Amino acid sequence: MAVVAERRLAIELGTVDVCFLVALYVRAEGANLTSFTEAQLEDVFAQASAVAQPGVDQVRRRATLAIQRLRDQRMLARVDGQGVVRTGEFALSRLATGIVEFFLEEDVLTRESLVLLTGSLRAAIASVLDAARAASGPDAWQGGVTGPLRVTVSELIAGIERRQRGLDLQQESFQAEIRKLLEADWFGAIERCQALLESTSATLRELNEVLLHDSSLLLALLHDIEELAVAAGEAEAEAAAHRLIDQVDRIAAWGSARQRAWSEYFQYVHRYLRDVVRLDPTRALTQRLREQLAGGGQRFALAYASTPPLRILRATPVVRERPPVVRPHAPRDREPAPDAGEDPQVALDAKVLRSLDGGARALSAVTTEVTAELPGPERFVEAGRVAGTVARLARATAERERPWVAVGEELEIEDWKLARAAGGAGGAGGIGGVGGGAA
Amino acid sequence: MTRSGFAQLQDVILDADFPELDVALRRGRHIDREDHAWYELLTQAQEHLEPFYRRYGCELIFKTDGYYYLLPTSDKVSRRQLSPGDMLVGQALALLYLDPAAIERGGRVTMEELIAQLVAVLGSDALIRAFNPKRKRYDERVAQKTARARVAEAVRHLAALGFVDMAEEQLRLRPALLRFAEPVRGLTEPAEALAKLVAQGEVTLETEEEAAEGAEEAEGAEDGEPDPEPELDRGGDDDEDDDGSGGDDDEDG
Repeated sequence: MAVVAERRLAIELGTVDVCFLVALYVRAEGANLTSFTEAQLEDVFAQASAVAQPGVDQVRRRATLAIQRLRDQRMLARVDGQGVVRTGEFALSRLATGIVEFFLEEDVLTRESLVLLTGSLRAAIASVLDAARAASGPDAWQGGVTGPLRVTVSELIAGIERRQRGLDLQQESFQAEIRKLLEADWFGAIERCQALLESTSATLRELNEVLLHDSSLLLALLHDIEELAVAAGEAEAEAAAHRLIDQVDRIAAWGSARQRAWSEYFQYVHRYLRDVVRLDPTRALTQRLREQLAGGGQRFALAYASTPPLRILRATPVVRERPPVVRPHAPRDREPAPDAGEDPQVALDAKVLRSLDGGARALSAVTTEVTAELPGPERFVEAGRVAGTVARLARATAERERPWVAVGEELEIEDWKLARAAGGAGGAGGIGGVGGGAA
Repeated sequence: MTRSGFAQLQDVILDADFPELDVALRRGRHIDREDHAWYELLTQAQEHLEPFYRRYGCELIFKTDGYYYLLPTSDKVSRRQLSPGDMLVGQALALLYLDPAAIERGGRVTMEELIAQLVAVLGSDALIRAFNPKRKRYDERVAQKTARARVAEAVRHLAALGFVDMAEEQLRLRPALLRFAEPVRGLTEPAEALAKLVAQGEVTLETEEEAAEGAEEAEGAEDGEPDPEPELDRGGDDDEDDDGSGGDDDEDG
């Protein structure tokens, strides 16, 4: 797709161009021509122009332009290779031939063409199978199996598929024709519509029978080739056989799908012919219904049964009532209450005195002893309180440069030397007595 | 699957397809040959099922066009009538069914063709007014959008009742659509035929007030924008198992 978009490929053909291509194709078929001279091209264009746009002037000039358009779009190719030396010879390209064949609708699948094609296909695949059985090397596989599978057999299968598409188009045109017949001649068209339906149904039925029968034979042969290719390790031949198996499957599936779809259509049209056309030969019902819809007459409404579905009562689970989430209401200001707990300062005083009594003569020693059991963060806070207490209970002396001494592993303090305080503090008479003399 | 006939009603009821068929019929579904198994069962068991449903105050109707449906004739089985919008769309679909143009595609039409048919018969203004009846002034674009949405809603409802099949943006027309043409099918005058159908309980006549009420129900949001998923069941049946086949005036509640 990217390549197509990049190259900005496009095809623009008017009716006169298509007529020109068809006329060239028919002339080539009729006169067995492989190429056209410029004069022949202009002659054929004049004929096509007379049909497609009668009465126009400057036909020669138009022919020149049409030829150039077709050459630009690769519909016509110059095949003589003589350039300016002499007038050229032109041939229809594969693209032009494909377009013409499509419009001419020559390739429609019929029982005769299908039987012929599947017969040829069976013979071709059988010969490939023989070649596969006899193949003894890569060259033999390539020349006798892979090549024929890719070209001969593949072309035959593509021929069936092309004709299938032709039949699809023919069915579409039949459906449109049935409609036109009824629109043109309502009651009088019944017989012709039924004939069209019957003929297409018969064709499809026959085709499907042939496809069902022959496709199984073709598949069996292709499977044999595939197995031989697998056994010989010929991946290309195996892939070619596998691809053809898929194609044959698709052809068989087409047959049954089309027959099913047509059967549905067949029944619908038959019912229509029976229930609508035959019962309303003058086509008055449509007109009366149109008047009814347009508002002529009393408005009415169709009645219909409308039993409500049974109400099935669901078992409902017991829902546990959950109390709403609220914040606890507590008075912010509490009434003071007597606390019989120990005064922390008294306890600290006792610890400091005990340390001093135990012989500690430096702040670091007292702090270490008093805060030994406390965790790190509390120890820092408690160290300050110890210093305050020591300052109150003992006499501290410090040099100008007070040393930093580690207290435990996480704390350092400026150390003081301690001496007993004179008279001691209240409540710490023992210590006071001890330190009094020193002061 | 082919059945060899049913000796008695019990055999019919014991058939594997009967429960679903029974529920479908009671919900207003029209059964034709496209419903292969159900149609065959009805054809084989018609003589047993007609008296069976009569006991419920219903008639099992078979039309020679090739379809069955259940018609309540008493209040034992709930009964409804199609809304004015459904009736307009149903008649337009019936016209398409009769048109040879639909033959070319095996009875398939598109929503665009349906709306074009409505426009061709009613005219654009009348069509928009039919689906926007309460609005004295309306924005053309919004009104057109509303009309298209209402038509689609009606099609869904008719599909639930077996008048059409919806598949891949196409509508497959079914024989039951010819019910919409019943008043004008015979040689008698339409008024006379209509009176006969009313007497049989097949149709109800619509008064001006009923038409206005039905249209009001069909009216969507106040701003005229159609609902993205219009609620089909306008009859107050809110059961989630509903097939969406409601939407009309429930006659007996």
